[in-house]
Amino acid sequence: MTTVIIDYNSGNLRSAEKSFQLMSEELKLGQVKVSNKPEDVVNADRIVLPGVGAFGSAIKNLDEFNLRDTILEYAKIRQRPLLGICLGMQLMGTSSEEDGLNRGLSFVPVNASKIEVLDLKVPHVGFNQVDFPSDSILYKGLENLSDFYFTHSYKMESDMEINQAMCCYGDDFIASYEQGNIVGTQFHAELSQTNGLKLFENFLEYF
Amino acid sequence: MLRKRIIFTLIYENGIFNQSRNFRLQKVGNLNWLEKNYKFQTIAFSLDELIVLNASKEDKNIDEFANILGNLVNDVFIPIAAGGGIRTMDDAKLLFDNGADKIVLNTILATNPDLVRKLVRQYGSQSIVASVDYKPTNNMPCVFINDGNKNLDIGIDDYICYLEELNVGELYLNSIERDGTGFGYDLDTIRRVCENTTLPMIIAGGAGNENHLIEGLNIENVNAVATANLFNFIGDGLPKARKRIIEEDMNIATWK
Repeated sequence: MTTVIIDYNSGNLRSAEKSFQLMSEELKLGQVKVSNKPEDVVNADRIVLPGVGAFGSAIKNLDEFNLRDTILEYAKIRQRPLLGICLGMQLMGTSSEEDGLNRGLSFVPVNASKIEVLDLKVPHVGFNQVDFPSDSILYKGLENLSDFYFTHSYKMESDMEINQAMCCYGDDFIASYEQGNIVGTQFHAELSQTNGLKLFENFLEYF
Repeated sequence: MLRKRIIFTLIYENGIFNQSRNFRLQKVGNLNWLEKNYKFQTIAFSLDELIVLNASKEDKNIDEFANILGNLVNDVFIPIAAGGGIRTMDDAKLLFDNGADKIVLNTILATNPDLVRKLVRQYGSQSIVASVDYKPTNNMPCVFINDGNKNLDIGIDDYICYLEELNVGELYLNSIERDGTGFGYDLDTIRRVCENTTLPMIIAGGAGNENHLIEGLNIENVNAVATANLFNFIGDGLPKARKRIIEEDMNIATWK
């Protein structure tokens, strides 16, 4: 079993890598590989799309490594588990206003827009509480309103039902969504102490 | 609710971690020493974030620093910001590749704003912490760069306006005068500066006990309190401080 963390020049991957290594070892769920090669993505059992940086350059990098179609095939056609973290979650939406208007992978019908709330500091940075649906699989074993670490200037909002968990910073926005095999978190579980490790454990075990 | 944060800052110089006092460094120990005597993983469990600064004076050997950073971050699951001596895009990349989630910029904020803009474009505002060292000069807090050696002759408020325009993500406001003293934060300056900025604010310089951390956290616009005081806080100092802050029902994250 292999979990592949996609490396597309999007900043620090070490935190996600070592978190998944730890949980994979504990659960005896195979190895973790950091890669930008389409063939590794094709053969993965789970993939993680991390991401810090700006939307426009991230999507360009995915195309440069020929990863867009590979990920589409993996997640859309073969319906294999995919976790997007922070920018990775936003990349799985329809579009973003960051860096000009850019199209995403369109796994969920939601776009990303700038956080704009009067008198609030941007980026939204630090631990914040996450309000998740009681039937959520991703948060199994965690108490509602657990703290997770956020750092972002763009957010996703939607009235559609995508099994979303919510967070509040001035306004409510999507903290995570679970759509079958597609999972996205706006926060960085890999930077969220034991709360985050538990969430990764759930992703490895139940998706 | 967005929580406030407690941050520890490790001051590094040529392979050794240091206690800084008014920016003069006193050697404490290397990474093994830190692990052995202070069980760093346990301490990290009491922190919201870790900052690691390369304060080497002559040659800031960034490769060696990145290597130490890579080892340090192996078993902690919190955000890590690293900086000190970043002068090129490659320097920044090296730190990100070795486990930094954010980078801390200081001197180049003033000397090379174009590079700062490029870093913001490449890694996003949220990855860039702007470190501002200040000291009163003729009764006015003035900004210093180059490890606190060069006075920019710019008032702190004007400088922060300039940083906002550069689109950095956070401010790390450090009083050179209070640094390492344990006398408490420079609350007057902090209160005033915090009111005038839209950037998330980390305050540093002077915290010597948990009451100082609480004083800082109680200022409305302060987002995070930092301490670099190895002597006062490492050991069980930080776990105890965090426990008390949680018990007092302050707005801070919890995990099990």
